[in-house]
Amino acid sequence: MADTKSGSGRHSAAGGSGNTVLSPLGQGPANLECKDFQEYLRTRQTPESLEKLYNYPPICLAVFRELPEIARQFIIRILFVDQPVPQAVVTSWGAQRCAKEQAEATSCLTALNVWRVTAIPGGLSAWELSPTFKKSVRQVLLGGGKPWPMTNTLDKDSKPRDIAFLDTYAMSRWRCVLHYMVGTGNRSGTDAEAISPDAVRILLHANLMKRDERDGITITRQGFQFLLLDTRAQVWHFMLQYLDTCEERGISLPECLSMLFQLTQFSTLGRDYSSEGMNNQMLTFLQHLREFGLVFQRKRKEGRFYPTRLALNVTSKEAAATASVAMDEEATQDCGYIVVETNYRVYAYTDSPLQVAVLGLFTELLYRFPNLVVGVLTRDSVRQALRGGITAEQIVSYLEQYAHPNMRMVESAIHSKSCLPPTVVDQIKLWELERNRFTYTEGVLYNQFLSHTDFVTLRDYAQSIHMLVWQNERTRTMVVQKNGHDDVKRYWKKYSKSGV
Amino acid sequence: MEADQSASKEAESCIDLLVIVLDTNPSQHFVRQNPQNLTQILEAVIAFGNAHLMQKAQNKLAVVSCSHHATNFLYPLPRRQVELRQMDGQYEAFNLVEKTVKQQLGSILMNAPRLSAPCESLLAGSMSMALCYISRLQRNLAPGVKMHSRILVLTGSNECASQYMTFMNVFFTAQKLGITIDTCALDKTLSLLQQGCDITSGQFLKVTQLDGLLQYLLWVFLPAPQIRHKLVLPPPPKVDYRASCFCHRELIDIGYVCSVCLSVFCKYSPICTTCHTIFKNPGPLPIKGKKKKKTDKQM
Repeated sequence: MADTKSGSGRHSAAGGSGNTVLSPLGQGPANLECKDFQEYLRTRQTPESLEKLYNYPPICLAVFRELPEIARQFIIRILFVDQPVPQAVVTSWGAQRCAKEQAEATSCLTALNVWRVTAIPGGLSAWELSPTFKKSVRQVLLGGGKPWPMTNTLDKDSKPRDIAFLDTYAMSRWRCVLHYMVGTGNRSGTDAEAISPDAVRILLHANLMKRDERDGITITRQGFQFLLLDTRAQVWHFMLQYLDTCEERGISLPECLSMLFQLTQFSTLGRDYSSEGMNNQMLTFLQHLREFGLVFQRKRKEGRFYPTRLALNVTSKEAAATASVAMDEEATQDCGYIVVETNYRVYAYTDSPLQVAVLGLFTELLYRFPNLVVGVLTRDSVRQALRGGITAEQIVSYLEQYAHPNMRMVESAIHSKSCLPPTVVDQIKLWELERNRFTYTEGVLYNQFLSHTDFVTLRDYAQSIHMLVWQNERTRTMVVQKNGHDDVKRYWKKYSKSGV
Repeated sequence: MEADQSASKEAESCIDLLVIVLDTNPSQHFVRQNPQNLTQILEAVIAFGNAHLMQKAQNKLAVVSCSHHATNFLYPLPRRQVELRQMDGQYEAFNLVEKTVKQQLGSILMNAPRLSAPCESLLAGSMSMALCYISRLQRNLAPGVKMHSRILVLTGSNECASQYMTFMNVFFTAQKLGITIDTCALDKTLSLLQQGCDITSGQFLKVTQLDGLLQYLLWVFLPAPQIRHKLVLPPPPKVDYRASCFCHRELIDIGYVCSVCLSVFCKYSPICTTCHTIFKNPGPLPIKGKKKKKTDKQM
């Protein structure tokens, strides 16, 4: 009779190494997760609240653009159909060989409550667009209904602000937040004012910063990961966290979202908009946006504001990538300062303590000059960052994002995907893989078999149902996956009964 | 699977440009029947254009009008766009398209010379203008940004065989540049444009009822060519590949072809009118046949 020992069996997949210490995976605070808009809607909203959101045309348009391509075509085709459309008919619109993609699109539409199942005479089930959604989308496309807020007519601004001004303004506001996070905001005189208690509350809520023992505020691991994101993703993550807290402040979420989308997706850079007719809550929201640099407003009381580039296309990465470069009047000069060489040296033309601090997370800094920092990517420095929970992907994307324009020139010359030297990218990824030599599987250990045949029978059975993790014939020991334990135990009981 | 996902991601990030060539010639059949029809078509085209813009934030639209005397851009306008404030629930960019197109077309129709007799539309010319516009945008793209372009022709005109050469040049240029040409014929089947759609693997659709025009447009022409294989669209019709002769501009089945410049003629002439080559052996067809046989024997 064999003893079965239940417990968490550790197993080293690659064998080889003698190092079997459990990594702190899963023990430390969770990594930063960045949701896109669709995920946000799916996870945070109930069908009823979604329905409420669909009363706002800007939200509908934003949701529509987030849908998979096929889903968008389906919606457009039934937008002007007043009766429910039989499901079989909708299915026949897609090609057979893309059935899987079509199923995804269908389930996505259902999950977002854009359409729902109804029965039509004849016992068939049919799809029907949510009436609110349908009405709002039709309104966006063809007109009618009430104008959106903030589009009231304004007289000409006596001192219109140009795009370059808005860009510098927005970036300086946003850097203020980042500087605060790394604790350099108060010391450097350039970004004079510190950030408001409200912003601090959001940072705390988002787990980007935490209170330490001496009641000061320090940056968390997620906070460092946050710093490595590109500005667009930072703003989006930050806004999501803001939306979480907005109900507590007594600001209505649908109104907030609607305004946010109107600002971010459907407004024109360099145009002024009016805050006339907004209620007090929305004015507060506007003041918050102003603080983070998403809008520019000359005075608190002025009924005119400009959206900045920071706000534009914050929701979707792809759109932002092309929209910012495809803009007719090109003005993005904020970009790169980092040069990476094939010898792993990193030259950063910057004097900002924030950028130096971020760079210091994963490089070993060698020299500092007034406008230049030189560092080197070493195995130790990168591993230290990895241990801190930063991924190789994040390091690479940070370096890519802030690559010096000259590096980009090289990119277009050799048509490679990344502007960094391939060796460096590969090595960083290898350093990360180095750490992932172990996979952890929960399992149950079977040992002390009485005979060799018992062992072999049970092992072969476990193998045949693909539940065997590891076995050793000499010591008659085997490890079975935890969810296979019941099966194997049952088999063993049956076997031992019939055997005896 | 991963490759599929990255492909779809790429499709999401690239710019889709749609150029609509709208035939506004007053001698089209449906306009002569009832001038209101043109308004109806215009409404459908604007809604269709906006539906294209609605798909993705980075989609672009251009509308070109084509008449018997000129080709004009209805949208976008070269100078700074007019300041428009939202009047109703329509998204301001869509409103801008609608206002600009209507305003431009109105002023063009008011200033058009009077027609004494029905004339052909300059469709081929308008399409070349659309190609030029596309290629200019393509050239001005920032590095790393991809753009897919297509042209949609909406016309109720008759076959324009006299523009055969221009049409063919347009079709092959489009094919070379990877631009899809779609055609929505509102009156007759147009074999030349049908050829163009076939060459550039676009859709050709003849719509006989103007009432459901928008629904047809949204169904067949809204999906970008890159995703059309995922949807069920009307099967390609049998294409009439007749060429038009250079002497009388008529579509012919069998004709004479200049051995130097490949011009097509319906009647034999001793000198090619295109490249001025003089043909040495002006013999009727049967003699040619005999000669061929002789050479065969010699060999």
